Amino acid sequence: MIHVERLTKSFNDLRRGSVSAVDQVSFDVQPGEIFGLLGPNGAGKTTCLRILSTVLRPTGGRATIAGYDVATHPAEVRARIGFMSGNTGIYDRMTAWELVEYYGRLYGMPEERLQQRLDEVFTTLQMQDFRDALGAKMSTGMKQKVSIARTIIHDPPVMIFDEPTSGLDVLVARALLKTIASLKALGKCIIFSTHIMREVEKLCDRVAIIHKGRILASGSVAELEQRYGQSDLEELFFELISKHEHDEFSVSARHDEFSMSARHDESSVAVRHDGTVPKC
Amino acid sequence: MLNWRNVSLILHREVRDQLRDRRTLFMVAVLPLLLYPALGLGMMQLTVLFREQPRTVVVLGADNLPQVPALVEHDRFAVGWFPESSGATAAARLVVITDQPGSAERVAAQSKGLNAPLLLARAQAVRDVLPRDEHRAGELFGNSGLQAVVIVPPDFARSLASVRQQLEKNQEGAGVDANYARPEVVFSKADEKSHITYNRVMDVLEKWEGAIRESWLKLARLDPKLTTPVMPRQIDVALDEQISASIWSKLFPALLIIMSVTGAFYPAIDLVAGEKERGTMETLLICPATRTEIVLGKFFTVMVFSCATALLNLASMGMTGKHIAGMMPSGALSQARDVGFPPFSALAWIVLLLIPLAALFSALCLALATFARSSKEGQYYLTPLLMVTLGLTMFCLSPTVELTPQFSVLPVVGVALLLKGLLLSPIHAGALYVYVGPVLVTSLGYSALALWWAIDQFKREEVLFREGERFELNLWVRHLLRDKEPVPSFSEAAFCFVTIMLLQFFAMGFLKGRLSPNAADDASLMLKVMLVQQLAIIACPALMMGLMLTTSVRNTFRMHWPDWKLLTVACVLPFVIHPLSVELLSRLQWFFGELPPEIVKPMAAMSDANLPLWFVLLTFAVAPAFCEEIAFRGFMLSGLARRGRLALAIGLSSVAFGVMHMIPQQVFNASLLGLVLGTLAIRSNSLLPCIAFHFINNALGVIHGRFGEKLLELPGVKTLVMIDGESLRYRWPTLVACVVIALPLLAWLFRPLYQRPNPDAAPNTSESSPRDQRFALGTTQDPENADLLVKSHD
Repeated sequence: MIHVERLTKSFNDLRRGSVSAVDQVSFDVQPGEIFGLLGPNGAGKTTCLRILSTVLRPTGGRATIAGYDVATHPAEVRARIGFMSGNTGIYDRMTAWELVEYYGRLYGMPEERLQQRLDEVFTTLQMQDFRDALGAKMSTGMKQKVSIARTIIHDPPVMIFDEPTSGLDVLVARALLKTIASLKALGKCIIFSTHIMREVEKLCDRVAIIHKGRILASGSVAELEQRYGQSDLEELFFELISKHEHDEFSVSARHDEFSMSARHDESSVAVRHDGTVPKC
Repeated sequence: MLNWRNVSLILHREVRDQLRDRRTLFMVAVLPLLLYPALGLGMMQLTVLFREQPRTVVVLGADNLPQVPALVEHDRFAVGWFPESSGATAAARLVVITDQPGSAERVAAQSKGLNAPLLLARAQAVRDVLPRDEHRAGELFGNSGLQAVVIVPPDFARSLASVRQQLEKNQEGAGVDANYARPEVVFSKADEKSHITYNRVMDVLEKWEGAIRESWLKLARLDPKLTTPVMPRQIDVALDEQISASIWSKLFPALLIIMSVTGAFYPAIDLVAGEKERGTMETLLICPATRTEIVLGKFFTVMVFSCATALLNLASMGMTGKHIAGMMPSGALSQARDVGFPPFSALAWIVLLLIPLAALFSALCLALATFARSSKEGQYYLTPLLMVTLGLTMFCLSPTVELTPQFSVLPVVGVALLLKGLLLSPIHAGALYVYVGPVLVTSLGYSALALWWAIDQFKREEVLFREGERFELNLWVRHLLRDKEPVPSFSEAAFCFVTIMLLQFFAMGFLKGRLSPNAADDASLMLKVMLVQQLAIIACPALMMGLMLTTSVRNTFRMHWPDWKLLTVACVLPFVIHPLSVELLSRLQWFFGELPPEIVKPMAAMSDANLPLWFVLLTFAVAPAFCEEIAFRGFMLSGLARRGRLALAIGLSSVAFGVMHMIPQQVFNASLLGLVLGTLAIRSNSLLPCIAFHFINNALGVIHGRFGEKLLELPGVKTLVMIDGESLRYRWPTLVACVVIALPLLAWLFRPLYQRPNPDAAPNTSESSPRDQRFALGTTQDPENADLLVKSHD
């Protein structure tokens, strides 16, 4: 359902030059499965999911959702996903009902089906009592419910949740995770990104640990624990990340040395860029 | 492809959202409805409160004034010397201090705060210095607080009496000696108050003089009317509706422009920057509506509010203005008893012309607001637009500015001037209807361009997802020098253009001061200056930036060997394009009007037979060919084309090339040539064809000016060319031949830049000529370009 292959996204940074926020990321997610993206802040989770939601364009690799390429058929992809993240806020000057109705119409739902579905969703998510409240007057939990309602109103086969629980209290977060689990039961294909281990352990069928734009390891939690000989996901996560940091440091030290020598002799740059590894 | 249902959905939501926003409602509806009545009330209160300050005049030598007719009575000018309607009040507004004993004290006692004795003493000091040192007198006067000083010469009364006696005796004017010293009025033009006082005093003195003159003429048995043989009677035939039309034609166009930009300003910020700030932008971006649909929805929303604001303001101001004009007892509006509304046809024009205006402002505001991350930032970005619009409005308000063919194609100005003309004389607007088409078409064209820009901005993720990184100059300069790339970036190219324009602007003022002498050997000096200008202002900045900001001077300045086919075309094309452009420009003479004298002079130097030909060619052909090509097709085009949008890059570079030429004719001509030059550069990836084309084209211009007339002497040439006025023009057989040769060459040159390749093919395995391939290879060194190049294939 979701197929991601060597997906790369780089941009120019004033401080660091060209930076890859997502670097050769590959994974697959099947219907009825929750795939977790686990990584610290700034790991590239949001960028990766933004590419999947077609908001950003990849600079390399490809990703298909329900058979459509995100780069070439963005409209078809958007029609088939529900996306929710910390950055997808709701309108202050619109009521809950109006907002969900508005997005339902944008998804091109026929009016009769939309009204029926609205009623259904508002009832399941227990939102009927604040359906006419303006966004500005809602609590965080209410807003989150409206966001979920917006995400699922058109009943998409693929759903992407980018750190949906951040900033929520325990009760609301728990309810949210429950909702996501129930969506899985409906056979949806779900990506769930977070930096909280327990959510992954609880919810995800498979998980990828992502750091600095790279996937360090992926598999089911049990598989990963077995593969790396760690019984605790948190310990495993920490170990992988510190190992990656260490590796990267030694690579970048070597790279610095290389560029120093390249600066001395410009003509050698082309040759060395061709792949000959300079001696250290 | 466009789903209008989505556009309409977004439009409806945004309009409803804005109507629920108190700030927007206040700006759009409440403010105009309250503002004008409030302003009107305030104005009336001010007129009631307004008291004109009395002005002070010191009369020195008052003893020398004649008793009859008396100029000064009771420390005032006599009431009789003021206009009848306002005699007493006008007299009271002009305080007179004389040097007669007790006068200064009496004035001081009457008008508190006026130190009359001091003023008198200072006036006397000025009088004493004046004959010796006028400069010193000026200093003294400036610091004295004096407004006007009347100095009556000694024996003035006696001189007048003497003339009178002679007239009485002779009973005619002959033989009367009127050669005596006249009074003097001292004032300062630099001081507004002094100037006003002077004018009032002069009015009084003229009336007084008139009385004396009349009595003298009577004594000389002459008709007093003899002294005014011509003075006409004034007949003002302005009709009430014409006066009101004149008032509306001043107010409405200005208000329409200012209010339509204000009406677009706040909604645009709220709709884009505000949405980013509130975090709802991404929610919208992930719905199936395309970015174009989103921008269109938002654009129509902004336009609705822009139109509504402008119309509501106009209506409210019209009502208030009419009401106030009816109540005002005096003032500018009093000529018209009843200020009527403009006729229905004029109102229809307002609505019609508002549409392109609002569309332009809405699209511009939207595009600029897209850059902003927050509402506050949006206001910063949009303020320049507001300033420029205000400047244009002020320009259009000037009574001497009228609609001309050139103005009609300018954005905003065309609409404003057309509306001004239509409101001024709705019945006699016949001549203006010619302009309706061009104004509407160009305005809508500009709006479409602006909208395209807004949509384009909205599609750029670096604009939509700008990070809130703090700007540090240090860091930025380091980034520029460290992360250099083979060719300049888009913004570096834009910066190069701005630098060249600024340098040119400053050089213009600098050279104007030096080049004004009208000596004959000026021409040679002028050419030298032009040569230096080309090198220093155009080539230098581009070369410096190329060396400092890019890693490959060779790629930036396209130092490659061109395809021989392109080089041949570049050498042949000018010969057929030159006659066509001469013909085109002379056909468009009515549009561009006469050349300004500053330009005629250097043009004349082109055909000045006294200057050596090689020098003229060096200045007008060789230097521009190298310098302008290095800057425009070298640095700028490389930078503009880096994003891979080649057609856009060629268009922008040719507009920049045109704008640099300043004079409308040349802007037009150079922009067209810029298209050819830009395409040559992109196709060949070499500057050589451009230099060849540019050189031949300019050299033909020089030869055309210099040897045009001599050419006619050759046998058989008369069927090909003719002399029209002073310049050489080409006859139709020549022109037809040129078109026949130019068209296929241009068609070949302007054929689509990249043909659609196999979608699976790698980016650099594109079509046709090896030069094109080299271009593609040259820029795929960085991943960003590779991606963009792929995009351009799509």
